[in-house]
Amino acid sequence: MSEDRPPDALARFAERLDKARAQSGERPAVGDGDGAGQQRALGLGFRIGIEFVVAIVVATGLGWAFDRALGTKPFATIVMFFLGVATGMYNVYRAITGQGAAIGFRRPQRDVKRKD
Amino acid sequence: MALELHPLEQFKVEPLIPLHIGGLDVSYTNSALFMTVAVVLITALLVLGTRRGALVPSRWQSVGEMSYEFVADMVDTNAGHGAEPYFPFVFTLFMFVLFANLLGLIPYSFTVTSQLIVTFALAAAVFIGVTIIGLVKHGAHFLRLFVPEGVPVILLLLLVPIELLSYFIRPFTLSIRLFANMLAGHTMLAIFGGFAASVGLLAIFPVALDVAIFALEVLVAALQAYVFAILTCLYLRDALHLH
Repeated sequence: MSEDRPPDALARFAERLDKARAQSGERPAVGDGDGAGQQRALGLGFRIGIEFVVAIVVATGLGWAFDRALGTKPFATIVMFFLGVATGMYNVYRAITGQGAAIGFRRPQRDVKRKD
Repeated sequence: MALELHPLEQFKVEPLIPLHIGGLDVSYTNSALFMTVAVVLITALLVLGTRRGALVPSRWQSVGEMSYEFVADMVDTNAGHGAEPYFPFVFTLFMFVLFANLLGLIPYSFTVTSQLIVTFALAAAVFIGVTIIGLVKHGAHFLRLFVPEGVPVILLLLLVPIELLSYFIRPFTLSIRLFANMLAGHTMLAIFGGFAASVGLLAIFPVALDVAIFALEVLVAALQAYVFAILTCLYLRDALHLH
């Protein structure tokens, strides 16, 4: 480990590192520049593709299970199918408008006041 | 010409060491083998890589530190404050999925994450864990997550079921996304590989395509591990902060 070295060696190294970075176009070593933004966008794109389909399939499956359990043959399946479509659309909308995967999204405070 | 294509054969789970305990089949399968390989490789990378702990890192130490910093940064920005105790979990999850995905790309290996039950087990662990964390931290107040604010009562009749549903499909979306991506990619590789074996000299085209798809699969393998981890972070944030 390096604890026993004099701290000024570290300080000098940091200084040299800063200088070198400033010379080579001042980009910090950890990529929170363009690369990270691109990565995040790519992650989002791959994420929402399946969201819509799975919502419908799971909701319809749940409806079918309710029907089997309660003996209300087609109704729960039909209702849950449309609920699944609504959920899928809502989630994709939320994902692309930057709400992330958040459930129970709250309006920004300012909007709530205006509505009241 | 007999076209012999078995693109799905690669996903078959086969027992390597048959084991039956109390009527349960707990055989050591090829799937379990590659899980073991992934865990051993991750442990080796992190333990051996950071053994020396040099100020100017060696290659392996650098890889270990970069993955640590990458996940630490991801937890910090996506899960918010108070999520630090859960970093080890997210890091383990990320490394396991990443290594399982990448190991699957080695020819003749087995892709653990192409098994729905494996990805579902991971996603269910995340889901149950996050729900428990939310309930412990906020008690009954956690249920307010399902009631959007500033919405007329009549709309609540529609919105509460939607919120509930979007909460409970999380383990499914999380697991099916990873599983479907791995399954689709590997099936595609196998199909074009099968074409190449059966068309003689024209094989150059499917092989070229296979190379391109393989490159895409490397990207997908890393990206899906990233997506899995980042969604875990976002779910954690919901449970910790309730907005």
